[in-house]
Amino acid sequence: MKGQRILLPWAGLGLLAAMLFAMELRAAWPQGDDALQWIILQNAVLPRAVVAILAGAALGLAGLLLQRVLRNALAEPSTLGISAGAQLAMATATLYAPALMGWSVGFVAFAGGIAAVAIILALTWRRGLEPVSVVLAGMMVALTANAASAALILANGDYLFSLFIWGGGSLVQQSWDPAIAIGSRLAIGLAAAILLLRPLGILGLDDASARSLGVALHASRFAIVALAVWIATTVAAEVGIIGFVGLAAPALATLSGARTLRQRIVAAPLIGAILLWVTDGLVQLASGAGGERLPTGAATALLGGPLLLWILPRLRMMEWPSLTTPMAASRRAARPVAMLLVTLVALIFAMVVALFAGSGPYGWTIATGDLLADLSQWRIPRIVVAAAAGAMLAAAGVMVQRLTGNPLASPEVLGVGTGAGAGLTAVLLINATAGLFWQIAGAAAGALGALLLILGVAARGKFGPERLLLGGVAIGAAASAIITAVVAMGTTTSYTLLTWLTGSTAQADATQAFTALTLMAVLITPALLTVRWLDILPLGGETAKSLGVPLIRARFLVVLLAALMTASAAMFVGPLSFIGLIAPHLARLLGLGRARDHLIGAVLLGAALMVVSDWLARMVAFPYQLPVGLFASLIGGPYLVYLLSRGAHQRG
Amino acid sequence: MTERGTMETLLALEDVTFSAGSVSILKPVSLDLVRGRMTGIIGPNGSGKSSLVRLVARQQKPTSGTIRLDGRPLDGFGERELARRIAYMPQFTPPAEGMTVRELVALGRFPWHGALGRFSGVDAEKVETALERTELMRFADRLVDSLSGGERQRAWLAMMLAQDASCLILDEPTSALDIAHQADMLALVRDLTRERDLAALVVLHDINMAARYCDELVALKDGRIVARGAPDAIVVPETLAALYGLPMGIIPHPATGQPLSYVA
Repeated sequence: MKGQRILLPWAGLGLLAAMLFAMELRAAWPQGDDALQWIILQNAVLPRAVVAILAGAALGLAGLLLQRVLRNALAEPSTLGISAGAQLAMATATLYAPALMGWSVGFVAFAGGIAAVAIILALTWRRGLEPVSVVLAGMMVALTANAASAALILANGDYLFSLFIWGGGSLVQQSWDPAIAIGSRLAIGLAAAILLLRPLGILGLDDASARSLGVALHASRFAIVALAVWIATTVAAEVGIIGFVGLAAPALATLSGARTLRQRIVAAPLIGAILLWVTDGLVQLASGAGGERLPTGAATALLGGPLLLWILPRLRMMEWPSLTTPMAASRRAARPVAMLLVTLVALIFAMVVALFAGSGPYGWTIATGDLLADLSQWRIPRIVVAAAAGAMLAAAGVMVQRLTGNPLASPEVLGVGTGAGAGLTAVLLINATAGLFWQIAGAAAGALGALLLILGVAARGKFGPERLLLGGVAIGAAASAIITAVVAMGTTTSYTLLTWLTGSTAQADATQAFTALTLMAVLITPALLTVRWLDILPLGGETAKSLGVPLIRARFLVVLLAALMTASAAMFVGPLSFIGLIAPHLARLLGLGRARDHLIGAVLLGAALMVVSDWLARMVAFPYQLPVGLFASLIGGPYLVYLLSRGAHQRG
Repeated sequence: MTERGTMETLLALEDVTFSAGSVSILKPVSLDLVRGRMTGIIGPNGSGKSSLVRLVARQQKPTSGTIRLDGRPLDGFGERELARRIAYMPQFTPPAEGMTVRELVALGRFPWHGALGRFSGVDAEKVETALERTELMRFADRLVDSLSGGERQRAWLAMMLAQDASCLILDEPTSALDIAHQADMLALVRDLTRERDLAALVVLHDINMAARYCDELVALKDGRIVARGAPDAIVVPETLAALYGLPMGIIPHPATGQPLSYVA
């Protein structure tokens, strides 16, 4: 029977998990009358297994609910930024409102999670919650929340480090409380899901049909989202961020033949439980007795990234009609060249201000003479590095947005920035005091690895937009997991990585400046040669093909250049900045519509924005320096909200 | 009506089939397209109309069989070389975000100048001619997205004209247009095939529109050509009934005498 063939692998995996558990039991079984051993068995080993099972089931259920109501096969607690939002809320509360944490950790986590979801829904509401945009917005929110958490930890030293370890999702237990908390939420969630079976079924249809069938659309949708967030943030509060279980369990349930909603509500939590139990068993096996190096949450993300790549082509999820819903039509500059000159002047002005003006111990000063000569050796490299990185990110942003025809796409989504971080992590893991050369080499190797992966993934989809975007998100998530896992070790390596994560130009020197300039020149020149393709590519594959564009070659080259630029910039300013997202939009708002003007304008604006961000990051909290990457995203985030709230106008 | 144009065979499909996975969409189909003639493809939903034109435009490769352009297999053409010969308008034209009409039409010159070549005087001249011929001059500097559906469709046709191809392929160019714009669009395509000695292949849903403007109709059902010929020969009750599985009647057009179909 077909049913049996599908059930068999799950039964096998369940058995494997049980065997791993039996091995742990045997290892922990008390010899004779050892009281301590009994306590460990009762309060650590047993609850850990129960928590793994319950948390897996809870995440599976939360993922299923989110996917159903958002009609998005990629929705889950970590892709929607729920976990990252919960983490940021807990970090903030620990520092500024410890009483709140004492009162209810679960509530703080829930507030953070619900805030993240609210932002994402608000961002993508006008785009009809179209899945790819929801996932992109989720990734942006998660990246920003992570960077903000990292900055808080950096600023407050060891105090918050335990929180980051928690962020890795360790299942180590000391009591039964977490198991009870998660179990009770899971029971309530399951009961609610069964009660809501009918509206849930209808919410899987499109809005118009659901409304015509009499479902109170928004009320039930928000209620179910809130329920899912509550379940997910409970898990986050009790054991930390566990990625991908919520994504994989419902998808695997569907692939295993659970067709009706009723079957899925049973199958998804079961599969989630098995997945997490097996993963945790393997983590314990790998770490050996007592060693607790790799948090289980990082391990699931590590396994989940590739899994997502495997699932993607097997899911029917691309039938959403509005992937290319345009942004509001922009006006056009009458004389683009004049507009380009204006942006050039803006860049020069930004650089001059950054070079001369500064806040010192005696208030604001304009540096001249000897002081300027002294300061320039510090300031010039920073300005050059910031400008070059901003220019490259902006160019990559123009290319990615034009290639995918999606105004929400940005270089970050290619996953190469975080790939660079994973490479840097590997180098620092081998030698914590590795020099700059090795750090850059490691970052480049990591970026290249991520790049080859994304190219391989995208090639199978003929470099089509959806595959590229979602593949990039998957690679980014897996690479982030590696970084998180190592940061969670809490060594000196962690500080280097945290600094990099938040993006800092504070160590820029002449060598770095020269390297950045060279990379910029070498990469932006060929980008300028692709503008004719970039004019045509937003019109989609069909049009490009009928106009004689060598589609696969053109897309390959564009992705390659964009990824190389992203990776180069990431080495200097960290993996995120929003500059690659915003500079292209600003250039367009200025009326630079043709690909050539758009690209040049965005490059100049990106450089100017990054120089300004860097200068502000240096000045705002003088004598402390804020990380520029974080600062740029704090500027960029609100702009993104504004941009999206203007939304897409309906086409006639 | 067959005396017009050079009548030289431009495109020939020889036993072409197409399957998506295990589903056979086109059974062996053979067809040739002649210069100076507008060929309409009609048939019920799912009969393989779009697949057929997509194969001819090389948007997809046939599962078996050959398509020849001027006697050369389609496979042997380079991308730009083919785009200089065949222009294709997909069923749903994508949004041309932030692009003016003139810029969109100028993209039609890509097959001629390529990614790095200079946009020459000849290119500019072809763009202006295409704009004039489609009466878009006064919209030339407007954003494509600000135009009405009919004007937008004409802008895409102008792009195809600038492409200077000898074969125009249009997949349901009138599906989103009101009746006046449908008539405009089809009359324009028909006139162009005569003026420029082009071969045109147009997928149409409305049989009466197809009969009114096409020189020849090809009727597809379940991936097979079930009838082919001049409109008066195709638009007859028996053929239409077989095609759509619905009793249909015919009356002559009061003015032109062309056949008009109706559901009996």
